[in-house]
Amino acid sequence: MGYIANRLIRYAVCLICIITLNFALPRAMPGDPVWNIIGEDVYVSEEALQEIRRELGLDRSLFEQFQIYISSLLHFDLGYSYILKSSVFDLIISRMGWTLLFVGIAIIIGAIIGFLVGAYTGWRSETRMGRLISVLSLVISCTPAYFLGLLFLLVFSFRLGLFPFKGLYTEPTLASIAHHLFLPILVMSLFAASRNILIMRGSTILEKASLYALYARAKGCTDRGVLYVHVLKNASLPLIAQVALDFGFVFSGALVVEIVFTLNGMGTLIYNAVLGRDYPILQGSLLLIAITVIIANLAADLISAVIDPRIREVGR
Amino acid sequence: MIQVNRYALFLMIVFIILAAVPGLLAPYGLKERSLPYQDPSLEHLLGTNDIGQDILSELIYSTRISLLVGFAAGTLATVIGLIVGLVAGYYKGGVSEVLMGMTDVVLTIPKLPLIIIVAAFLRPSIWILILILGLLGWESIARVVRSKVLQIRESGFVMGAQCMGFSHPWIMASEIVPNIMHVVAPKYMLATAAAMLSEASLSFLGLGDPNNVSWGMMISFAFSRGGFIRDMWWWFLPPGICITLCILAIAAIAFSLGEDSREVWQD
Repeated sequence: MGYIANRLIRYAVCLICIITLNFALPRAMPGDPVWNIIGEDVYVSEEALQEIRRELGLDRSLFEQFQIYISSLLHFDLGYSYILKSSVFDLIISRMGWTLLFVGIAIIIGAIIGFLVGAYTGWRSETRMGRLISVLSLVISCTPAYFLGLLFLLVFSFRLGLFPFKGLYTEPTLASIAHHLFLPILVMSLFAASRNILIMRGSTILEKASLYALYARAKGCTDRGVLYVHVLKNASLPLIAQVALDFGFVFSGALVVEIVFTLNGMGTLIYNAVLGRDYPILQGSLLLIAITVIIANLAADLISAVIDPRIREVGR
Repeated sequence: MIQVNRYALFLMIVFIILAAVPGLLAPYGLKERSLPYQDPSLEHLLGTNDIGQDILSELIYSTRISLLVGFAAGTLATVIGLIVGLVAGYYKGGVSEVLMGMTDVVLTIPKLPLIIIVAAFLRPSIWILILILGLLGWESIARVVRSKVLQIRESGFVMGAQCMGFSHPWIMASEIVPNIMHVVAPKYMLATAAAMLSEASLSFLGLGDPNNVSWGMMISFAFSRGGFIRDMWWWFLPPGICITLCILAIAAIAFSLGEDSREVWQD
């Protein structure tokens, strides 16, 4: 598999870039690196500061510091947040579940709607309905996610009082969680769906003009038959790859939406870290997000190579 | 689609005029203050914000910052993407491999988290925003340009120029670039739209430049300084609508520019 090996090298380079950047950024910034590493608004005693310096090896050479950094990463040690008084790894683990839940649901809903509606608008791209849907999808794609979230919050929560303003649940029951998560999932699904519709529509339009579709028609296939049996299979390839990629952004994609709806997930963790300049959390999150993105990219490559033999050929 | 484009062009011209001469159009200056948190009235059509600024005037002045960040970052991304794509497409072999490998790496790196972390370390300013957004937004332009250059470099007029002994940079600049402009132009508009959208998100996260308020910053302020709790929709709705309309106009222009070149949309 020359194709996959080729991709693997690129992802390895990408990961090394991120790790190096993570290592270099706090040390390259002006000022004492120890403050850039633990965060600026932290109160620690002078002895503790000396202790941290020694642990990170800040008195030693850069190369030795890098060795210490890599070895701690290999032990799943992403640092310690001096503001939240907890290890970054534990913080991220405790927060990622909720984000995974509601973004995951939104990605799946968006993929299903995008596939069905996109195929329809692509197949019937000349009809008024087809045009209307694609313009609407374009409008949603051009809106900042948090703005749409604010609008929904204003209309459905403030004005109509249908949904709660914030939080994940009032009591830990399924109904309460679903009630709280409905609006954020709706907003995220709308975004995923409108982008997927545009992708699916584009590829369906391309495929329906190709020769094999014409041939299928010539041998007597019905209109629906051409779509379902022949065109859909090829037209869905870009969408499948895109949905796999979406899972890479499962932790960072909902950042602003989480903030608007005050959900206690990864997004609010990152937001509070930005406000408090809690650098260990930011760096740990970036690394985790980069790893998920790379895994998702790899999955997308593998899926594409399995379902589309042409890609395997090109890679050689 | 012609009709949509006419609207888009009209909108774009309006926004550019607002950005060019805000002082002529805004009813109040940025430094003028009156009572904070006023409701819309004849004196203040969109009310006033938490420090007593006229929101309509702030909205008009913010146009310049939003457009500046978008177009400057888009230009930077396009220039880098054009050069990388040209060189990678023109010289095959090792150079091309390295450049395209680099492009793939940039493509894989998660943009928003990286921008957040870099912007958090550096003090926010619009120039740093432009630099970061530009440096991380060029990869799809580079890929499109390269695939186009790969076709053109085999054509007769390029080979003719090579036979006549023109230098490679000269051939690239005056034979190839004019022939790929029709794919670069829509890509430039799309890169600008993407930069504006990223800027809006970053500003909302509080990573914008507090001295140069953009539309995204206005929404961020309305959200964090009580505009939302007080139900002052006239504070955060107009900048949001402006962002959406402006990005939509730019995207619509990109669509009409690139309607007949399939390469633009394949990435």
